[in-house]
Amino acid sequence: MADINIAKAPKSYAVLPFYAVGSLFFLTLSTLLVFSHQTLLTQFLHPHILAIVHATTLGWVTMVIFGASYQLLPVICERNLFSNILALVSFFGLLSGVILLIIAFWFFLTGFWMITGGTLVVLAAILYFINVTVTAKKCNKHAIQKCFMISAGFWLLVTTVMGLLIAIHLKYPLFNTNQLQLIALHAHVGFAGWFLQLITGVSSKLVPMFLLSRNKPEKYLQLAFLLQNTGLLIFFFAAIVGLWNNIVWIGYLLVIAGVVYWLLYIIAAFKSRIRKPLDFQMRFTFLSLIFLVLALFLLPFIMHSWPMPYIQLYGLLVLMGWLSGIILGQTFKTLPFIVWNYHYKSLNGRVRVPLPKQLYREILVKWNFYFFIAALMLMCAGLLLQVNMLFLVGSIFWLLIAIVFVWNVFDILLHKTKKSDSN
Amino acid sequence: MIQIEINDPQYAQKVKIAQSLYQVIDPELFVNIIDLGLVYNIIYTDNTITIIMTLSTPHCPLGDAITSGVNNALSVHFPGHAVTVQLVWEPKWNFEMMTAEGKKLLGIA
Repeated sequence: MADINIAKAPKSYAVLPFYAVGSLFFLTLSTLLVFSHQTLLTQFLHPHILAIVHATTLGWVTMVIFGASYQLLPVICERNLFSNILALVSFFGLLSGVILLIIAFWFFLTGFWMITGGTLVVLAAILYFINVTVTAKKCNKHAIQKCFMISAGFWLLVTTVMGLLIAIHLKYPLFNTNQLQLIALHAHVGFAGWFLQLITGVSSKLVPMFLLSRNKPEKYLQLAFLLQNTGLLIFFFAAIVGLWNNIVWIGYLLVIAGVVYWLLYIIAAFKSRIRKPLDFQMRFTFLSLIFLVLALFLLPFIMHSWPMPYIQLYGLLVLMGWLSGIILGQTFKTLPFIVWNYHYKSLNGRVRVPLPKQLYREILVKWNFYFFIAALMLMCAGLLLQVNMLFLVGSIFWLLIAIVFVWNVFDILLHKTKKSDSN
Repeated sequence: MIQIEINDPQYAQKVKIAQSLYQVIDPELFVNIIDLGLVYNIIYTDNTITIIMTLSTPHCPLGDAITSGVNNALSVHFPGHAVTVQLVWEPKWNFEMMTAEGKKLLGIA
């Protein structure tokens, strides 16, 4: 029998600011969405839409993912986080970069402000990649989740550098290629490289853990990793040399196959779960996967001819349905435990302490689940039928989700230690 | 799950220790560590208590809170004893190690 040293949770300043600020960006983007609903119905490269997209991808989704990753990386790698300080610096880099980018896009201030914002985001991505890689390198145990975390960090770096180059290109032209294709490449490296691989890796650890699953077929994950990365590399290089109508399809099909293997893994974990009832956090997760599948079905049509409003619909399914959906649920599977750990770790077993689920209002998560379905149905219908009122009501529902979410998140973050003697 | 034999010379102390450990809850599963079957063995001497236990997930994010909980619970009832928590991954924990009460609490019985 060996005495095993377990990893310590990262410092609160390396995790909690990401959740706090990420939720505020969610509120910001939801407010901007209400004001820009009319623009979104008819355009997809309008400055206001670009501002909302970057508030969503960087301010909301990436911000929360950074915080969650710094917390989960030690769990996956079975080692302490390499540096809490680097994590904090990456927070300030990402925060200031996103604020500058949102303002620069909204008022379309190409040049200094956009380039500075982009540079700060690249800096945050570099720091994140260093932290992930060094933490994972110290890990002796091979875990496929570790590989996904590293590859996701790498693709984030590629995405942000590409974004910075596009920002420079808008002021000082660098490329001869079609600007739309450059933006599509930037977006899809972020989608299939950063978001998809990070979520594949993290979900393959968390879903079986939360559902208490017996069956975790690792082979599916290895295939998912191989296919997603090979597909993305083929897509990337084909797009770089301008082969948009030929080899790029092979890349697409390989990434799809990689997604299928990941979903097969999730289905196996779901079917073999010991915990039968699904809480609303997990329902959010499974519903978000349906939106991902719908988006992937839509992608070939968009790649073929870039029609509107399907391109906005695709963005809606990916950003609101899949990415936001997964965060709206999983935040309440991670944040209450993180905060509980800081408040009650030293008190557990000594006095009666509240449970993590008592740190927030579960009923609000349930309401948000139904608001989420309503908002997406209305916005999708508004887009497809080109009915302004439907999209407006959907975006108001979305704002309601954000208000409820922020309320619940700050209830957890501002929790005060409560204890009563049990002895 | 831990079995304390009635003919064990330290039966009374070990039962008292196990009772103390009922207060230590796995915060994720909301079930105490005895009913979860996480405690494999208790070694009791006049001055020391060693708890040999596992976690439901290796490097469980709340593992530190659970081991602190064991120390806290025992320091209340056995103030004169030095408590050591020894984490092991073998045998690997599985759901069959839970008590009937634990399965019921988890809603899987």
